[in-house]
Amino acid sequence: MGEQEIMAYAFYPGCVSKGGCPELYPAAVKVAETLGIELAELTDVGCSGAGCLSQEVSDPINARTLAKVEQMGMMMMTICSTCQGTFTQANHRLKSNPEYREQINREYLASEGLEYKGTVEVKHFLWVLDEEFGLENLKELVVRPLTGLRVAPFYGCYLRRPPELMIPKGWERRKTVLESTIETLGGEVTTISGKGKCCGFPILSANEESSLEMCGTHTLEAREKGADCMVTPCPLCHLELDGKQADAEKHKDASIDMPILHLPQLVGLALGFSPKDMNLHRHIVSTDDVVKKLESIRT
Amino acid sequence: MEVTLKVNRYDPASGNKKGELQDYTLEVDDDATVLDAMMQVREDQDSTLAFRGSCRNGFCGDCTMRIGRKTLVACCTQVSEVAKDGEVTVEPIRLINVSKDVALDMEEMVYKKYKAVEPWIEAAEPAPEREHKVPNEVIQDLRKVMSCTMCWLCDEGCTTIVVDRKFVGPAALTKAYRVVADPRDTRTEERLHKLSEKEGMWDCCHCYEASEHCPKGIDPTERIFALRNKAIKVGAGTRGVVGHYKSFAASVKAKGWLDETRLAIDTEGGPLNIKGQLKQLPLAIKAFRRGKVPKPYFLHPKRPGADKIKSIFRIWESKK
Repeated sequence: MGEQEIMAYAFYPGCVSKGGCPELYPAAVKVAETLGIELAELTDVGCSGAGCLSQEVSDPINARTLAKVEQMGMMMMTICSTCQGTFTQANHRLKSNPEYREQINREYLASEGLEYKGTVEVKHFLWVLDEEFGLENLKELVVRPLTGLRVAPFYGCYLRRPPELMIPKGWERRKTVLESTIETLGGEVTTISGKGKCCGFPILSANEESSLEMCGTHTLEAREKGADCMVTPCPLCHLELDGKQADAEKHKDASIDMPILHLPQLVGLALGFSPKDMNLHRHIVSTDDVVKKLESIRT
Repeated sequence: MEVTLKVNRYDPASGNKKGELQDYTLEVDDDATVLDAMMQVREDQDSTLAFRGSCRNGFCGDCTMRIGRKTLVACCTQVSEVAKDGEVTVEPIRLINVSKDVALDMEEMVYKKYKAVEPWIEAAEPAPEREHKVPNEVIQDLRKVMSCTMCWLCDEGCTTIVVDRKFVGPAALTKAYRVVADPRDTRTEERLHKLSEKEGMWDCCHCYEASEHCPKGIDPTERIFALRNKAIKVGAGTRGVVGHYKSFAASVKAKGWLDETRLAIDTEGGPLNIKGQLKQLPLAIKAFRRGKVPKPYFLHPKRPGADKIKSIFRIWESKK
């Protein structure tokens, strides 16, 4: 990042950061502001579909969003892995198949005077931090290193797969970028075997037992390996790992009590924000032990 | 080149639950595959070594093994690619019962699941005078699916099977897609309802592990998505699933974005399903106390531009 360069992104916060995880949106906005990242929030765009809408309708909705971003001449930033996955895949179809793109432009976007030319790049906040902002620059802004805080990274699915789109050749660092970020913030990485597996959220309505087994396995492993908290770039993983953890404890017949942090919250804590500023009190699983640990680090 | 194969030896008659690694050192050609090496061992050193392997060309999907901790098709994997310090570990894949050594007992986890999806076409009677005609673009898509060798690597990578062995799995679902998407078949709707039962297509967590593991690029995860899209159109799925998908589409269509409270209520059978709603109450109370509950239904604000999203839905619906 050049010294005079202003970083500005078309910001797609996604539904969950303002809905089921309302603690995420303000934390992300505060952190971006502190980093000097300007966010032009997209307000008049639709939900990405998150794999729950037929591609036949979500592709035109997402093409409309991308067309608006294209007009702004910016890169688009997400704070949700599921939004990111959906957009990366839709964008790939639209970029790689001009006939398909033109058909969507003609049938869905032309009436609004919009056209997507296929030039927009979409990146998750995690990738922006590493690939655009630079972790070395982030390190310079850390005022309260998370020394001694043991953090288990949890990627979930959609920042990793399908790999040919999410981790293309030359971008292998994305496989360990959460770990690099935790270390940049001064924290200690606790590795769990399921860090890139499904959290269980997508099958909650179809098979709750399997869903809770997934949630319980990951959070319990983090507990058994001595993590103080887990961190995730995906609010849907957060809904499951935080919101359903009590049910997973019953399902596994084990006490887990594993705080789950959103990525921007962890960054914010190291940038000097208080736990309250980062809305840690809004989680279902208490984050008190994380807060105490941070206080003990600082005194 | 010289290589030492460290092969899992397991004999169910021994009473041991786990096998042990046995070393076989041999000289192999530089371009030998792991299957070539295994066959060489069986021919020259130990005729009791059991493993599956037939075509030696990546056609039959029989020799799937865990080689150097990765699940691979042995006849498509060269020894030189996987050897570390002159050693290659060969073990059975994890999710199928082992008959002996590296040979798998396919009945429970493979054959039964394939049979369960009834992977054969039932065309209309009487048969046409000449052949059934299928449009080129349909058969192009199906041809890719037909290249499946049933190597079971997608199931081995599946996240849901790990927690529920009864889940039908991406391999059988891909086979099901092959039949459902074939215009000659006459049982499409009935099949979609059957595939939507518990442990069927809706138990897939669409983590894309199956697609990552597929050595043929068939993309099983996308095939399952395609099956689901077809199922939604005919109203197949458990009450929770149908409620979830309908509610999702309805709130995006009406407001431009997702109404999560409404989604949670509809997934549990709607506001009148008191039992379902009570189940969610403890979490709802906790969330409310933490200020986490989004505004539902009429309180859920419309996004600016929601009318544009609605018109996209309308155009799409008019095309269906």
